[in-house]
Amino acid sequence: MLESFYLTGWGAFGMMLFMLVPFMAVFFYVVISKSYGDSSPSKAPQSSFVKMERAWIGLVIVVFVAVNIASIDFMPTTATAKAMASGEKLTEVSFTAESWSYDITETKIEVGKPIRFSGKSLDTMHGFAVYHPDGKVLFTMMLMPGLEGPTSLVHTFKDAGTYTVRCLEYCGNSHHEMRDELVVVAAGS
Amino acid sequence: MLAATKILQRLPFFNRMFGVDAEDGLQEINSWPALMIASSFIWLAVAGLLGVAMPLIQRFDLGSELFYMALTAHGAALAFPFSFQLMAGISLHRAGGCVGKPITGVLPALIFICMNLGAALLTVAILLGFSVSLVVMYPLPVVGVANGQWSFNTLVLGFTGIALVLTMMIYLYPVQLLKMMFFGKKREDLILSERTLDDPGMLGMVIAALVLIVMGTPLMIIASYVLVALYGIIPLDVVAWATKPVVFQFAFFTFAHNLMEAMALMVISGIYATLPLYLADGTRELYSKRLANAALWILLITSFSSFFHHFITLLPNLPASLAYHGNIMSWGTGIGAALSIFTILATIWKHGLRKEPGIMIALMGFVIYVMDGASALVTSNVAWSFQLHGTMWQSGHTMTVLIAMSMMWIGVLYHHYPVLTGRTLSAKQGNWFMVLFTAGALGAGLVMLAGGAAGMPRRFADWAQGGWAVYGDLILVTGLLMAVGLIILAANFMKSRKLDEVPGSASAPEAAE
Ligand code: HEM
Ligand SMILES: [Cu+2]
Repeated sequence: MLESFYLTGWGAFGMMLFMLVPFMAVFFYVVISKSYGDSSPSKAPQSSFVKMERAWIGLVIVVFVAVNIASIDFMPTTATAKAMASGEKLTEVSFTAESWSYDITETKIEVGKPIRFSGKSLDTMHGFAVYHPDGKVLFTMMLMPGLEGPTSLVHTFKDAGTYTVRCLEYCGNSHHEMRDELVVVAAGS
Repeated sequence: MLAATKILQRLPFFNRMFGVDAEDGLQEINSWPALMIASSFIWLAVAGLLGVAMPLIQRFDLGSELFYMALTAHGAALAFPFSFQLMAGISLHRAGGCVGKPITGVLPALIFICMNLGAALLTVAILLGFSVSLVVMYPLPVVGVANGQWSFNTLVLGFTGIALVLTMMIYLYPVQLLKMMFFGKKREDLILSERTLDDPGMLGMVIAALVLIVMGTPLMIIASYVLVALYGIIPLDVVAWATKPVVFQFAFFTFAHNLMEAMALMVISGIYATLPLYLADGTRELYSKRLANAALWILLITSFSSFFHHFITLLPNLPASLAYHGNIMSWGTGIGAALSIFTILATIWKHGLRKEPGIMIALMGFVIYVMDGASALVTSNVAWSFQLHGTMWQSGHTMTVLIAMSMMWIGVLYHHYPVLTGRTLSAKQGNWFMVLFTAGALGAGLVMLAGGAAGMPRRFADWAQGGWAVYGDLILVTGLLMAVGLIILAANFMKSRKLDEVPGSASAPEAAE
């Protein structure tokens, strides 16, 4: 459950709606009823406003903190740190990006093995986004030229299939043609 | 007669919309702002068409270069000479009338020239192929010369334009605002509705001006070095430090992010100042000044370092700790927004609201602004950033925040309009604009966010590649709604009627102080 919430774009969309929809409902209710409806001043005492104010701010803080704390386990930063600390052997996949293609050392990958992707750009800003065969973005990396170390993270694939790599940092007139593939195979095959 | 008044008089159509009355004694606060507002709408007219053109270019396969050209011109024109210039015009007008200082002399003229000439030069460069997007994606401008996408001269032209625009945003406009707030003699005849810094509406303007200067200066230094080197005045290797992508990118995004926050502070303070004038019981006060000011301060403090959220996916070149910091600070700005929401709703609940189109438009802009805020918080979370960064979600966010702020300003403009031009607008057309533009903007925003959720890349000339064409079509439909709304708005400005010709409106200027 939490995984499809934090690890998909639609989960993000859901979170956005979770904040937006109740807000809009209350906002339109207040604005419409206090202008088109009865616009006379409210007789509610000041103390009830203060109570509402506290409750609202409390609610916002609780939701914000909860959503962000629960997200920690799903951050690629966390997965990467855990994999590095575990001492487990990582499969290295390095790549370079140059307008408008990639050069990837190893494009055949096994399911279930932690892979460390490390990439550099040789000219301008590029991205390295891995798309699941079903079309969803697994992760994207930003490659900035001129840095000493590569951009890198550790990812473990769950499903076999052909994954598309796309550049998500605008890099000029053929940006949309900057594409490659990774083939993920079942363990041991 | 002021130069601005003369220029306005020569503008076809737009003089009908924003021409000022040279005889009403208020030219000194009206003319330059009116000219800036008029020019901002000229940019909107052209760049809005380019927005509609983008989905059409993809639908009819008119070529990727044309798409990237339209994208760059659309984004750059709407962010700077439209949104920023609209804000500059209205906020200067507001400041003038609140503190009783004229907007005359060299500085307003320079503000106008730098913004419009700079944007025009950049546009010419874009038409010559300089398709680098509105954030320039440094070092793309230089790499593009190396791999033959555009010429060196085009690059120099484009950067010259950008430098002029930045000079206006980072120094000229904030200095003009601060000058009016703190220096010069107050002129009683120019005071329309006196306010002091004690007022949240004024405080926000001052903070915003300071943010622009402070956060913009590093970028200004770097950009100046690069420009001087491009002109060949100093050798390129002397500026090697400034041309390092990481230096440029970080300076750029500390500014770009805080630019957005400064514009938000400015417009929220505009709402804080305007809303009380439309309360049904005539109270003229916000629910709580304390809460309103707290929102501004929280926004200010959290915004400084939330820009790290632009670089979360650079791991480990952006250390994870800074990514978390950006994440937390961004959600902190959300707390500020929550306070603004409460202040506005409690004010309306307590005192009731007059249903005038101006304030309604501004409030609808605020709704769009909250939608944008929600989308911004989500994509600042480290887990979600790795899936959304570089997708259409981000374009949805950029475009929505600018639309929201512009719409709030249009609402405030509705309020200023009678003083600015001596004419009055139709309420019916105002309402139609409000409905259509809100529907279009919310729709376009949601469609772009949904496209991003589905993995649709931003700034991408081939939406069909991953089956995202349908989002493009929906952007076209919702964009057309916005366009119709804007046409109605333009018609409303065109057909505005002289105050003294409208029965019962003799008191309008006072009501609109
Ligand atoms: C009139 C209807 C409009 C339509 C159909 C439209 C459409 C679009 C499209 C298709 C994109 C490209 C997204 C991408 O590929 O990354 C875009 C980007 C953008 N739009 Fe609009 N737009 C409209 C109005 C506006 C308005 C009114 C504003 C500002 C006030 C605006 C500001 C922007 C910005 C800043 C970008 C981002 C450019 C970039 O990321 O390089 N748009 N718009
Ligand atoms: Cu690329």
